[in-house]
Amino acid sequence: MAAIELEGLTKRFGDVVAVDGIDLTIREGEIFGFLGPNGAGKSTTIDILLDFIRPTDGTATVLGHDAQTAGQTVRSRTGVLPDGYHVYDRLTGRQHVEFAIEMKGVDEDATALLERVRIADAADRKAGGYSKGMRQRLVLAMALVGDPDLLVLDEPSTGLDPNGAREMREIIREENDRGTTVFFSSHVMEQVEAVCDRVAIINRGKLVAVDTIDGLRDSTEVGETLYVYVTELDEGVLERVRELEGVGTASIDDGRLRVTVDGVSKFAVLHAVDRVASVQDFSVVESSLEDLFVRYTNEKQEVEA
Amino acid sequence: MTWLSVAKKDFRDAVQSRALWALVAVFVVLSIVSTYAYVEVPEMFGSPTGATFGGLLFFTIGLVGLFVPLAAIVVCYKSLAGERELGSIKLLLSLPTTRGQVFAGKVLGRAAVLAFGLGVGLVVGLGFGAALLGELEAVAVLVFVLVTLAFAAVYAAIVVSISATTGSTSRATTLALGFFVVFELLWDVVPMGVLYVVEGFSFPSTIPDWVFTVTQLSPSSAYFSTIVALLPDLAETVGADPAQTGAGVEVSAADAGPFYASPEIGIVVLALWLLVPLAVGYVRFNSADL
Repeated sequence: MAAIELEGLTKRFGDVVAVDGIDLTIREGEIFGFLGPNGAGKSTTIDILLDFIRPTDGTATVLGHDAQTAGQTVRSRTGVLPDGYHVYDRLTGRQHVEFAIEMKGVDEDATALLERVRIADAADRKAGGYSKGMRQRLVLAMALVGDPDLLVLDEPSTGLDPNGAREMREIIREENDRGTTVFFSSHVMEQVEAVCDRVAIINRGKLVAVDTIDGLRDSTEVGETLYVYVTELDEGVLERVRELEGVGTASIDDGRLRVTVDGVSKFAVLHAVDRVASVQDFSVVESSLEDLFVRYTNEKQEVEA
Repeated sequence: MTWLSVAKKDFRDAVQSRALWALVAVFVVLSIVSTYAYVEVPEMFGSPTGATFGGLLFFTIGLVGLFVPLAAIVVCYKSLAGERELGSIKLLLSLPTTRGQVFAGKVLGRAAVLAFGLGVGLVVGLGFGAALLGELEAVAVLVFVLVTLAFAAVYAAIVVSISATTGSTSRATTLALGFFVVFELLWDVVPMGVLYVVEGFSFPSTIPDWVFTVTQLSPSSAYFSTIVALLPDLAETVGADPAQTGAGVEVSAADAGPFYASPEIGIVVLALWLLVPLAVGYVRFNSADL
């Protein structure tokens, strides 16, 4: 059974189409990253999964239940970190978690959960005084109540410092190891690259790619890029480098030679370049998902424009 | 049963509101001062025969009729609109509950907060009055307190329902204040205006019975009539006339007129003020995109 199944999901706000006919299946037990620039339709899609908003067309099935008609059943097995939420300023962190425990009808230790997200020392302070990162941790603790089968996390690393983001990833992995499906959205590629089994890229309400990270890399032909400092660099050198075997593209970038490697080892390319103009220094940049993402979202926009 | 959890959380949250406690303090001070004034100079407050406990009760109704609507607005206008505006509703609805349960829990929680604040004020005010007068009519007090708490619950339902129709607190404020102005401040004039229009833009020499019914459509008038209906003996001894709020419309409560012109209509009207706003608020809230 699929953890999440979207069929022709569409949401219009007046003239604006926020989500435009999305079909997507998330399998049980995977960590799935939902990528897209701000305003692409990520939160709208997640809001439909949680029945905060109703789709104009299409269906969303979560853990085998319709998200709109069986929302309570869905959410009884789902832990949620929503986007654009607000905590109850006058209630303490502990009261928040205890409330989630009560609402989910389970018997759990609020302190243990708060320790897990590392805000146990602030448990009895009012949440109104928490920093953004602490609130994010608090709501994550509420999401973890009741050992959910599915975690839906909307921009989980918002407000977290790098350490906090790493801890968030660790918790995501731990939960996943216990069999929990994780669906999270992000516009920070690094986050997704580090933990996801598969990703979907959404832009302007439409899915532009659904694949594994490696699959995405292969399909977009973005390999390694070499930045090479050579003793002399001019158009003539550039022309000769372009004709070398294994060189995809070559250009002059900030006084360096920028060469993409295509089909051969980067050492072979370096040696070849060295014979054209002697190499002083070099650096290697592996294409990140960031590049892929920029490529996907920009290309699509250019096509449309 | 999540509505109960929502109500409890909501009570815990709202009871910490400073505005609520400021209002309760004002109510307590006001009820002490006015109780004292009533006991000292009852002639000024419509009891020429001297201060009685029954008279004090009916005098307190006027105070409650003003306090409850205002307190309900302060306590409830943000209950749902505020949560939607801020986004805490997402935290709440991420949990395994339904919008209906959240709505019910909100009404219950806020009604409890209002009843709690009102109860404090009433106990202090009536206790003070009973001490000054040296008498206490237990049954009348019980009926009075129960009806008053029911009235508070009705107003909580009205304002929470208003709050449920919108995701903007400024809009909720406007609607709630508008409700107060129309149904509490201006309602004395409205029935006469309706009569004027119905009679072809002139005033008839006798006031028909239905005008009384229209005056009773204001929640606080209905509250007053309900108490008159339930405590008829006491109402008679203090000369309380349910139509006294109706801009001098002289319809005696004691006359055995048609049902819609008897004080019992107040009970029906209060029940409607509970059910109709709840239905409208629920339907709007349940279908909204948050």
